[in-house]
Amino acid sequence: MNMKELFPAKQVWGFVFSLILTFVAILVYFFNMSKATGMTIFILTAFIQAAVQLVVFMHARETDDSKSIFMTLYCAIFLALITVFGTILCMIWGWSY
Amino acid sequence: MEIDHSQPLEYSTEQNRLNILGFWIFLGAEIMLFATLFASYFTLVDRTGNGPAGAELFEITPVLAETFLLLTSSFVIGLGIHAMRIGNKKAMLTFFVITLLLGLGFIGFEITEFITYYREGATLQTSAFTSILFTTLGTHGAHVTLGLFWGLFIILQVKKRGLTPETANKSFIFSLYWHFLDIVWIFIFTFIYMKGMT
Amino acid sequence: MGFFSRFLIPNPSPVIYSSMVAIGVTVLLIIVGLTHFKKWFFLWSGWLTTVDHKRIGIMYLISALLMLFRGGVDAVMMRAQLAVPDNKLLDSQHYNEVFSTHGVVMILFMAMPYIMALMNFVVPLQIGARDVAFPRLNAVSFWLFFMGAMLFNISFVIGGSPDAGWTSYFPLAGNEFSPHVGTNYYMIGIQIAGIGTLMTGINFLTTILKMRAPGMTLMKMPMFTWSALVTSIIIIFAFPVLTVALIMGTMDRLFATKFFTMTDGGMDMLWANLFWVWGHPEVYILILPAFGLFSEIIPTFSRRNLYGYRSMVASMVFISIYSFFVWTHHFFTMGQAAYVNSIFSITTMVIAIPTGIKIFNWLFTMWKGRIRFTVPMLYSIGFIPLFTIGGVTGVMLAMSAADYQYHNTMFLVAHFHNVIIPGVVFAVLGAGTYYWPKMFGFMLNERIGKWAFWFLTIGFCLAFFPMYITGLDGQARRMYTYSESTGFGPLNMISFIGAALMAISFVLIVYTIYYSIRHAPRDVSDDPWDARSLEWATHNPVPEYNFAIIPQVNSRETFWDAKYKGHELFKGDYEKIHMPNNSGGPFILSCIFFVFGFALVFSIWFLAIIGLIGIFVCMAHRSFEIDHGHYISVEEIIETEAKFGGVNKWK
Repeated sequence: MNMKELFPAKQVWGFVFSLILTFVAILVYFFNMSKATGMTIFILTAFIQAAVQLVVFMHARETDDSKSIFMTLYCAIFLALITVFGTILCMIWGWSY
Repeated sequence: MEIDHSQPLEYSTEQNRLNILGFWIFLGAEIMLFATLFASYFTLVDRTGNGPAGAELFEITPVLAETFLLLTSSFVIGLGIHAMRIGNKKAMLTFFVITLLLGLGFIGFEITEFITYYREGATLQTSAFTSILFTTLGTHGAHVTLGLFWGLFIILQVKKRGLTPETANKSFIFSLYWHFLDIVWIFIFTFIYMKGMT
Repeated sequence: MGFFSRFLIPNPSPVIYSSMVAIGVTVLLIIVGLTHFKKWFFLWSGWLTTVDHKRIGIMYLISALLMLFRGGVDAVMMRAQLAVPDNKLLDSQHYNEVFSTHGVVMILFMAMPYIMALMNFVVPLQIGARDVAFPRLNAVSFWLFFMGAMLFNISFVIGGSPDAGWTSYFPLAGNEFSPHVGTNYYMIGIQIAGIGTLMTGINFLTTILKMRAPGMTLMKMPMFTWSALVTSIIIIFAFPVLTVALIMGTMDRLFATKFFTMTDGGMDMLWANLFWVWGHPEVYILILPAFGLFSEIIPTFSRRNLYGYRSMVASMVFISIYSFFVWTHHFFTMGQAAYVNSIFSITTMVIAIPTGIKIFNWLFTMWKGRIRFTVPMLYSIGFIPLFTIGGVTGVMLAMSAADYQYHNTMFLVAHFHNVIIPGVVFAVLGAGTYYWPKMFGFMLNERIGKWAFWFLTIGFCLAFFPMYITGLDGQARRMYTYSESTGFGPLNMISFIGAALMAISFVLIVYTIYYSIRHAPRDVSDDPWDARSLEWATHNPVPEYNFAIIPQVNSRETFWDAKYKGHELFKGDYEKIHMPNNSGGPFILSCIFFVFGFALVFSIWFLAIIGLIGIFVCMAHRSFEIDHGHYISVEEIIETEAKFGGVNKWK
């Protein structure tokens, strides 16, 4: 068994990068950063790590269907954000009752 | 079924390609499912009634353990699919077994976590916050648990039937499921635990 | 006795008791009939285990017609109760049960399956495919819908109906104010059916993206297929929201969680919010296929191709995504700040624009066409002005400040029936007539069908237009009676007469079907309407494999080109055709879901756990199952085609 064959560089670097991103998010906890900074870091690290999973591990770009796959994902993420923020808008930020 | 030998095994028949696209679309639906849970979580997060809030409950160590276990398992199953593509059935099965063991470890930590919360007075019925917390974590955990069984069935099929277009297709789809659960966990880790503790 | 007392109806009435008897007798008759005529095997092998999209479509159609009967009876009961002031036909409890079941049945168990029926039957044929991408999953979808609907439907004879409205708002829907099991039926029955619908969305999106005949690019697809595509997209992203909302509602009722409670931090408005995040896209799931169907019928009977294909496609794609941006208009009056209402007011009004574009395109299609006034065309022509009226009242409701006057009055009730009936019901009735010969091999009688159309249209106008006026005058919805001094009496009586006419129209529709089964000639051509798209390039009845040779597509109207412009549709030789096997799995799985759901409704935990294990066993079995389908040999194809006269025979 050839170790290089079984541990492709792309996957290993993807894993390391994910660990780094997780670590960066944890820094917000350990360094007691402000709410705004913390939120920004959280959003960036979470979405970037998700993208790494999709492209490196899930082979999303590989096939002829990649256009359909990415359209599905963009729609899903877009509508997910609308649902999350629209709900928070109606139920919390814009709640006046 | 016509097999296209120029493609990786999991894509090699027409039905295989349909199955994979269909599963990606299913994942799109699952994104909306978890988005709804998150939307509800953010709405109810401060509605703690007479019960504890997240900052009182969450502890960094088990959360880090769970994160590391799931992240590593996602990496390992990626290696498993790579091994499948180069035709190494033994390595693939080994990696898949490790993945499921790590997943089992994750569930173990999560169950311990739930028991701890229960002992500290945070039950499913305590408040709106605890209801949505347990439901969101529980939905993810239930998905992982289902995955442990599904993964086991696939390991058994690959062991018995070898690497065929069907078993390769199922293994690949399972790996998509497993990676997706890791992505959901990233958001849970960040926006429930980290945000709750800071 | 204590265990069984939970199944009693909390609020019985003579109508309910006689329904119990009727249901019991009907079930007995069915069992006896099947046994006497020795049809059990036929039922099992041909229908309960089928994975053929055409048969699944027909089963959806039959279910929808049965549910139309139930929902219609609910409607007539309501209108009868409101026909005169201080009426005693239905007391408040029963009135609540009737309007709640009317809403759920008509939207989820009549309109949705009717659309699923047409999507299932027509879409694979329109794209030149032999079945959908996941035939087994398609069967699961149907049976889950069927079992969810059956679970919901037995509520009124076992345990009690839901009575908190089709929207089941909390805290009314919680245990404190709705202690009996009715609302459990709501939460669980709809959940089971909803899983089926989600599976359909995934199935059809994959099918349309991947299984079109060679040469059929996206911009060459027929309009009904386009509408099925965008509808599938909406289903995929909207139904999971309902899934979560229903789980949370179920948990509040069964497991004492605090999502929507009045205490311990619960937020009842969150239910309304999540319900409508799903609910608004849901109404577009209903109307977009209807638009697609009109886009098939109008060109055929105007003898012109559809005007403005590109803008029709663009408007449907826009509407489908945009439908997710407007949901708050369903609860303008319920607690958000004015600026939130303004945002959703504007987004809601915008959605009228692409719809308007479609109306104009249909009118331009008919302009200078040679119109044939068949039953499907009558429904389409009736749709245009009536739906437009409904649409503009929608814009009125969209103005949030004004909506404080209209909300929850009969004005709102008039609006949504004004868009659903001329929109969805006309479309499915018209398309049902249009596709009937392709489905069953004979035509529906035109004369009786036209009577049904006129009774329905006039009845609809009489029933619902007065509601606009009484709503503006202050008559609230979901109120079981009103006093004489309100002055609502005369207009409500007119509504009742309208409802009676609509009931007669339903009887005429059933009579049309019966009469046609008895008397219509069976030698109908494959293409009785001289239509334009591929589903008509099949034999009568459509063989199991749909097309002996996959068609070659050259334009948006390939079939028309094949008939009149010399395009060769079927090239090459026969090859053996791969088809999926029938399977009892979907039916069995769905029966177990029924048992599981029933057990949850009544909190019979040991049975629920057994049911849940059963579901997982079915899934495990499916995982290990090896099923490679079967091949139809070339000899068989030659034999079948010879019976029908071969391919390319309409030239």
